[in-house]
Formats: sequence, C-alpha cells, structure tokens
Amino acid sequence: MKKLFLAALTFLFFHCSYSQQEFQLAPPVVKYNSVFFIQSATVSLQFLQPGTQIFYSLNGKEPAKNDLVYQSPIVIKKSLTTLKAKVFGNGYVPSETVQATFIKDGLKIKSIEPSPANEKFPGNGAKTLFDNEGGIADMHNKNFLGYQKDSVEINVLLEKKQPIHSLLLDFLRDEGSWIFLPQSIQVYYFNENKNSYELIGKKKILPDTIINGSACVFEIIKPGKKITANKIKIILQPLQSIPEGHPGKGKQAWLFIDEIKIY
Amino acid sequence: MQRRNFIRNTSLSMAALMIKPPIPMKEDTILGQGNKRYKLDNHWSQADVAKYPVNDCHEMIQDSKGRILLLTNETHNNVLIYDKKGKILDTWGHEYPGAHGLTLFDENGTEVLFICDNARHQVIKTTIDGRVLMTLDYPKETGQYTKPEEYIPTETAITPNGDIYVADGYGKDFIIHYDASGRYLGYFGGRGPEEKHLLNAHGICLDFRDGNQPNLIITSRQQNAFKRYTLSGEFINTISLPGAWVCRPVIKGDYLYSAVLQTNSRQGQHSGWVTILDKNYKVVSNLAGSVPNYVDGKLDEMYQTIKCFSYPHDVCIDDEENLYIAQWNSGKVYPYKLSPVI
Repeated sequence: MKKLFLAALTFLFFHCSYSQQEFQLAPPVVKYNSVFFIQSATVSLQFLQPGTQIFYSLNGKEPAKNDLVYQSPIVIKKSLTTLKAKVFGNGYVPSETVQATFIKDGLKIKSIEPSPANEKFPGNGAKTLFDNEGGIADMHNKNFLGYQKDSVEINVLLEKKQPIHSLLLDFLRDEGSWIFLPQSIQVYYFNENKNSYELIGKKKILPDTIINGSACVFEIIKPGKKITANKIKIILQPLQSIPEGHPGKGKQAWLFIDEIKIY
Repeated sequence: MQRRNFIRNTSLSMAALMIKPPIPMKEDTILGQGNKRYKLDNHWSQADVAKYPVNDCHEMIQDSKGRILLLTNETHNNVLIYDKKGKILDTWGHEYPGAHGLTLFDENGTEVLFICDNARHQVIKTTIDGRVLMTLDYPKETGQYTKPEEYIPTETAITPNGDIYVADGYGKDFIIHYDASGRYLGYFGGRGPEEKHLLNAHGICLDFRDGNQPNLIITSRQQNAFKRYTLSGEFINTISLPGAWVCRPVIKGDYLYSAVLQTNSRQGQHSGWVTILDKNYKVVSNLAGSVPNYVDGKLDEMYQTIKCFSYPHDVCIDDEENLYIAQWNSGKVYPYKLSPVI
C-alpha cells in the first residue's frame, strides 16, 4: 500500500511540474552534405529559438540534459556513427529526437549496372549508387534512383576480387509519396568455380506502421558464409501491395535507393 | 481559466487536496521576435462544435463592424461570424463545399465578399450576409483551359476600381484579370522555368505601401516565395523565403503577414508557423518559427521551432493589431488568437 501511494505521489508531482508545458519544441535541423564519407563527415545542428539548447549524443543513446550541448559543427570519422539530437527549453516539452547515421566508404567499386530507373527519377545514372552522395530524405534530390516495377537487379563489379563481409543498401522511406522499403532483398556472388551466381544472403521486410514524413533507412546484409568475389548481384523486390491504412492500398509501391556499400 | 487547464486541474484535484502540491499557473506562450511578439490564446473560439462545426478553416477577414468572418469548407456553415472575443454572432452558407479564398472589398461604401471555391471551380461574389451577386466560371477566354476541373482558384485581390485578379493556385497557376463587372481582361503567370512563373500561386494581394502605383504580391508556395508584379502582370522581383510554404500575403499597416503552412524540410509533419515581413520585405518575426537570420543580405532557411500550430492557412489582423490564425487539416480546430505583447 505504501509503495502504491509513493508511486501515486511521484506521478502527481511529475504532472504538476510539467503542467504548464503545453507545447512541444520542434526537432533541431540537422545539416550535412551527405551521410556517406571517405575520411570524415561534418554535421551542423540548428535551432534558432531563444531559451533553448540542442543536446546530442554519438553513442546511440537518447540525448539528455547531461549530454553534449551543441556549439559548433561535429566531425565524424567512425563508420556507422549515429548522431542523435534533441532540443530542450524552459516552458516547453523537449523535442522529438532526430537522428542520422554516417557511413564510411567501403571496398572500391569499379562499376554498377542497375536496372534502368523510372524516367521520372533517373538520379545521376548508375554512378548515383556509389558516389558517396546521399542520405538526404527528399525524393526530389538527384541522389535516388526511383523504381516502380516488379523487380530491380543491380550488378556490382569490384575493382578486385576480395573477401566480402557485408553489404549496405540505403533506401528512402516516404510513404506519403508511396515510397516504401523493398519487400525483399537478395544478394548473390559470382562463384568462379561453378561459373554461376550463388545466393549468399536475403532479407524480407514487412511493411509495419505507416510513417509520416520521410527518412533514409539502410539495410545490412551479411553473407551466410565466407566468400571472396569481385561480382555481386542484388535483386530487390519493391513492395507489391501497399498495406491497409494508406490511400494506395493494394497497389504497387515505389522503391528509391541511393547508395550501395560493400565491406 | 482556459478550458483545457480546467479539465486537467479537475482530474488532479482530489489527490491535490490531500497532499497540497503547488499548482503552478500556466505560463503564457509568447511567440515571435523584436517588436512583433504575441501572446497565444488557443481557446479563443467559444463556438459549440455541435452547433457550429468546422472542417478546414481556410481564411478570415474583419469587416467594418469589427466582426471576424471565418470561411470553412464545412457546408453546415461555410461562414462563421465572430466578435473579437470569440463569440459566434451569426453564420451563413451551405453551398461552398470547396470554400477556400475569402476577400473583403469596400464597393462604394458597401462591403462585399469574394469566395474562391476549389470544388465548384468558381469565384463567387456575395454580399456580407451571403447573397450571391456574381459568379465567375472557369476562364476559357484565356485559351488555357478546356474544362472547369482544370481551374482551382484559391484567392482573389480586388483593386480600388473593382478590378478582380484571381489566382488559380491549385489549378494551372495563372492569374486571371477581370474588370468590376466580371468582363475578362487578360491573364499572366502560369508555370514554367522562368522567374516570372509561379508554382502553387496560393495567394494574391495588393500592396499600396510604397505610395505610388500599387503592385501585386503573389504567392509561389512550392518555391517558398512571394513574387511581385505590376497590375498589368509584368514581373518585378522575387521575395525568397527559404523553408517557408507561405499561404496568402496579408498587408496591414507597414507589415506583411502570412501563415506558413509547413516547413519545407518537414513536409507532412504539422510544421507550420506564421511569418511577418516589414515594408522592405525583410522577415522581422516568425511566430513559432526560427529567428530570421540574414547573412550578407541573404535569408537563411527558416523552420518551425514550437509546435503550437499544425498547418496555419491564413492570418487576419484586426483593428487592434490582434492576429487570428485559421488552420487547414489540423483536427478541425477553431482559429487561435494572438495579442500583441508591448
């Protein structure tokens, strides 16, 4: 009983101390040229609202008031570093957390041959997928190849034959614009001994809740065994039937991809 | 005490009596910068939702009697007439399913209204109490339209001699010019690659502030800009407002006010605010938006900072310099009022 009372008390004080906070702050603006980098990436954060501060973390944890206060642009050198940032200010509910993951360049790619993109979203041609440009969640920028078809095939040729530990694919999710993640990803490598492509990894993605707004999302595929190769084939299946709760229900979704990394 | 707070405090009152925690007063929400700062009242409207429902609250004006008129696309009552304290005085209108643009014009001492209806593809001139005086159909005289559906007018501006300019902001972005009797005179604007072209010409107004010949200010919303033209449709210049999906320009005194539907980098996420520009078209205050920052004369990208609006669609400034904010697609909320902070 005593415990219960204490819990009730805590709840009450929590509510009272926050009751004047009717409105929430908007998230900070995160600015960078690309999430992909060779040596380092530089990120700046903005929030021009007096009486507020931006707190951020680089360890993947939710930013809190004892974290780093943003003062000047942040330089990121380690691959797959996730920056999380949040605004706090007196009299307002803290903002939602925004995040971006920065991705270092991988093995040298000689060429990529993707299926022809939809004529409306040709990006900058095949080089779009290995130009270290992207990670900006805007369907109209030139970093994406856009597809609306049953299957997309992407052939990657590395500069030399070498061990392959993982693949990273970066997509756009903008469901309001009918752009969903693919429903499946299959990765093959060219087995010279057999003179044929062999499946080394696959992933199925179920469309979960419909999100508002847009975001870049990367998927990592690890081969099921140790392989050495210079030719990789990726087969992407765009979502064939948009789920319930979306105006495009039952119709084929768009697929947008902006970068491929091989490690 | 405002209604929401009353409910909130009531639910705590039993426990509060037992342990007497300090119940803090709600702090005022003050928005904006410089000498354009305002206190927010988001419970201004006293309308009973069962009697006076709204859908999208698109535009508002104040008439010469001091009444505040709201145009909504709810055909139960397309026009709600309020006093400045938020009390409903009257309503009219059931035949404007696409009610969008509302402009007041003083026609030789009698006030008339111009309504743009998105769904009817028409502009309708009415008396202040809703009697129809004139209907303008789609402008086939331009040679740019083959059927009514291509024409989706969003706003009108009326010159002192009664000439009508219609912005086809959800159609083909042309500006169509008529005389006071509704006779077609010409068109300009439209989409295209040049600076004189428009993209989502959502609003239009007359600007008399420079004392000489009035000019037109026209919204190019998807370009996050206003564009200025002479009355004969010659392009003058662009007022770039990076990041801001500005709705219609509204001029009162030396200032230009505009609802910003959303932040360009956070589309579809209820990221709107209200912007105020001075006579030189310089942003001086953003209400619930970022402090305007000019670097070498160039305005930095702007964005929402406080989530107190969802999708603001229009600003009305009354005779006491209070602002009323109507919102689109924002959970059928009634307008908010903002009072100047001295």
